[in-house]
Amino acid sequence: MSNQQPSAGIGVGPRPPISAWFHHHRQAAQASYEKLLQAPVSNFLTILVIGVALALPHLGISIATAVQGQIEQLDSPPQLSLLLDGTVTYEEAARIREQVMRKPGIAEVKLVDRDRALAEFTAATGLQDLFERLNSNPLPHSLWVYPNANVRTAGLEQLKIDLGALTGVSQVILDSRWLKRLNAFTDLLRTTASVLFLVMALGVVLTLGNTLRLGIEARRDEIVVIKLIGGGNAFARRPFLYTGLFTGALGGVMASLLSGFALMALNAPVNRLFELYDQVPAVPSLVPSDLFALIVMGAGLGLISAWYSAQLHLTRIQPK
Amino acid sequence: MDVVFSRVGKRFGKRDALADLSFELQSGEMAFLTGHSGAGKSTLLRLLLLLERASSGDIDVGGRPLSKIKPSGIAKYRRDFGVVFQDHQLLSDRSVYHNVALPLEIAGFTQRDINRRVRAALDKVGLLGRERANPDTLSGGEQQRVGIARAVVARPKILIADEPTGNLDPQLSAEIMGLFSAFNSVGVTVIVASHDLALISRMSHRILTLDKGSLITVGDSQRGRD
Repeated sequence: MSNQQPSAGIGVGPRPPISAWFHHHRQAAQASYEKLLQAPVSNFLTILVIGVALALPHLGISIATAVQGQIEQLDSPPQLSLLLDGTVTYEEAARIREQVMRKPGIAEVKLVDRDRALAEFTAATGLQDLFERLNSNPLPHSLWVYPNANVRTAGLEQLKIDLGALTGVSQVILDSRWLKRLNAFTDLLRTTASVLFLVMALGVVLTLGNTLRLGIEARRDEIVVIKLIGGGNAFARRPFLYTGLFTGALGGVMASLLSGFALMALNAPVNRLFELYDQVPAVPSLVPSDLFALIVMGAGLGLISAWYSAQLHLTRIQPK
Repeated sequence: MDVVFSRVGKRFGKRDALADLSFELQSGEMAFLTGHSGAGKSTLLRLLLLLERASSGDIDVGGRPLSKIKPSGIAKYRRDFGVVFQDHQLLSDRSVYHNVALPLEIAGFTQRDINRRVRAALDKVGLLGRERANPDTLSGGEQQRVGIARAVVARPKILIADEPTGNLDPQLSAEIMGLFSAFNSVGVTVIVASHDLALISRMSHRILTLDKGSLITVGDSQRGRD
């Protein structure tokens, strides 16, 4: 006898591989969706765990971003103080001021007269007696240089070098240390949030991976039968991958909700802080791109968890 | 598809489950595999399904040496087989219809094709009216027939059954064996492992007898072929 099939007249045979692949995906997605609805409470708890894990680092990064945005908008941009040589006269100082004004990136230059500076200094420090005993004013004329707000740290350093090279300038003081400190603080906040994200992501993968492991164990019989009758690991794994994907994406939605509520609660204290720096209150809030990013990240982590869990547990299930 | 075993051995630890086993089954032939429990019947079927690899010798199926099939190719290789188990291995979380449809879904058949083929397979085993039933609500004989419908629904080239009548009374057993004969008569190669000598000796098919992992009779390859 031949390889001829019995009753070969019925049907036309399987789909082409690509079409079968799409069909299998659609079926697996559908089955996973139905399974999610079958156990709403336990799935909700898993989604909540993922939501909390993603919301915490998102909050940190949101606040760091809001603070940094405020720093960039500070209305007193960093200032350079030019101390001129002691021999420079007021007229010469005025000429140097003109020179500085012509440099690119300069918003304003104030000439501070040495006598007025001394008067202000003595008034502020209460050291009148000491200065009266001096025969001459020890202070030079000075220039206060206000660069444009768009000049960044690197540009300021360059400006400091350029201005220092002018004749008659003895010293340039860049007054930006407090800004650097604040920047360093928000950088720290951002880095902490990133590290927290990595730790939380690992937590999500392990938690969701374990939940999916239970799902795989519960369907052991089905996996064995699938493998016995010609289904590969890919076929058996697919519904679990979709479960991971859906749970993760819903976790992302949950994270957006939690984060949104938390930002609303943090609104008042954060703005109070900004007001202390004479800043216009700017509310850190959940933006659509964050929502999208959280959902994509949740879905990605869900998929990774499912893959790792299936690789670890599902491939081990072999028919006896 | 023909099946050729050449000096096949399978060793588990220090025990030979199968030793120096050689036989040939032509395409479209039906054979019974018999012997005491532990004689190696299941091991032989497991080697054929690539649930185990032979320790020595060669197995060729349809002219293809099994040693050349990589782990990633095993699933596809198994789609040429229909397998009937003693304990049916039906899934109780879905209906009879969906149990039988599973091999077709794996192979990627269209829904229209699946409908027609599942109904045709259930019709052949006499269970057309029970599509929506849960397998757990069926009798032992009915469950076994669902298992057979699932094994034949994708029109395998080789049908394998491991003690398919183990838990059934003689009359039901004869009916089940009759079904296998019917599939064989339309060209499917059939291998049935059974220790029910009284039943299988009444049927005019070749009988391979195993004892302690060795083949002691290979039967007559021409019997049942006329």
